[in-house]
Amino acid sequence: MSLPGGWHDERMTGEVERTAPIAARVHLAHAVVQKLADDRGIDLLHLKGPAVLPGLRPEGRHSSDVDVLVRPSHLSRLVEALESIGWEQRTDFTTGSVFAHAANWWHDDWGWVDVHVSWPGVTLDPEQAFDVLGREGQVRAIAHRDCPVPGLIAQRLILVLHSARSGGAVDVDLAWQQAPTADQDAVRRLAGELGAEVALAAGIGELELHRGAPTYALWHHFLHGGSRWDEWRARLAAAQGARAKAHLLTSAMRVNRDHLRMELGRPPTPQEVRSRQLLRVRRAATELAERVRRP
Amino acid sequence: MTRYRIADDVAWVSQEDLDVDEVPTAYLTRVPGGPPILLEGSGCVVWLALAEGGTLEEVTATAASMSDSTVEDISADVAVLVDQLVAIRVVEEH
Repeated sequence: MSLPGGWHDERMTGEVERTAPIAARVHLAHAVVQKLADDRGIDLLHLKGPAVLPGLRPEGRHSSDVDVLVRPSHLSRLVEALESIGWEQRTDFTTGSVFAHAANWWHDDWGWVDVHVSWPGVTLDPEQAFDVLGREGQVRAIAHRDCPVPGLIAQRLILVLHSARSGGAVDVDLAWQQAPTADQDAVRRLAGELGAEVALAAGIGELELHRGAPTYALWHHFLHGGSRWDEWRARLAAAQGARAKAHLLTSAMRVNRDHLRMELGRPPTPQEVRSRQLLRVRRAATELAERVRRP
Repeated sequence: MTRYRIADDVAWVSQEDLDVDEVPTAYLTRVPGGPPILLEGSGCVVWLALAEGGTLEEVTATAASMSDSTVEDISADVAVLVDQLVAIRVVEEH
């Protein structure tokens, strides 16, 4: 679109190019997702990025994708809504992360949306956890549209848990260290209600108080790293029940086709999957051999 | 007298919301299925004036005050742009 010469400049209007700032796309994408939810009665909470309340995020820091927590029983409706306007699923819930808590979709205009049905570290039933996290929720304007977000205490906890999961302390300073004591106490109470005490402890430097917990090794791995073998051993320890442990063992050696697709930029061929499978088995064997040799 | 305002189904963000200090720019879309649209420079100034709503004369006056221009200098261009924004249904007449 262009206008005759005069006061306006040459690039007065036009369609956003693919190089539009990611921050702008993320703001608009939050609004798009919320409109989809509004039209279908889907309960959502917007997380991270522009959904974070003032004071909890360093100035000038932006997200590169949209994160939403959906009421688990509304997930199928949200997926249908996203895909109705061109979002394409790129990972599913079993391959998206260690916690099987999120999957992501890609849109050529709006980029990535990560759909969470639970939050890493929270062990309460996801449907109940959604209610708890949204209990003191607020409405925040994102791209001049009303978007529901968790309240202050829940946001502090979410940021600390995310930081622990990411093995860093990026958000902990504002979300925890600088929080008033009363807020820290409230975060601890909320973590207790959500069964997220160990994850919170990992985020605030108190993990060693939970050495006997089933998830201790997993959070230790996130904080301090280790081999894939260590990670799987930690995940096995954290898995609750025989069925969960069996499922984990089965998937441990399976190639993550979603990640391979993202790495290649196209669907992998059967031969590429087999080749990666072989590599994965070799890598596991090498790690195991090194552990055996270690004094 | 016709008044103008941003349509109810529009989401938009300006460089002020993004904490970036660049050419005045607004990014907008009609939710949920519209394409992304860019308003840059004076186009963004008119958009910010439209965010306050008003008649064409009021929008032009607001845009002039935001851009150190005179109403006489910009009124024709503002009228054309507002017409275009109405045509693509991101601005409503009421």
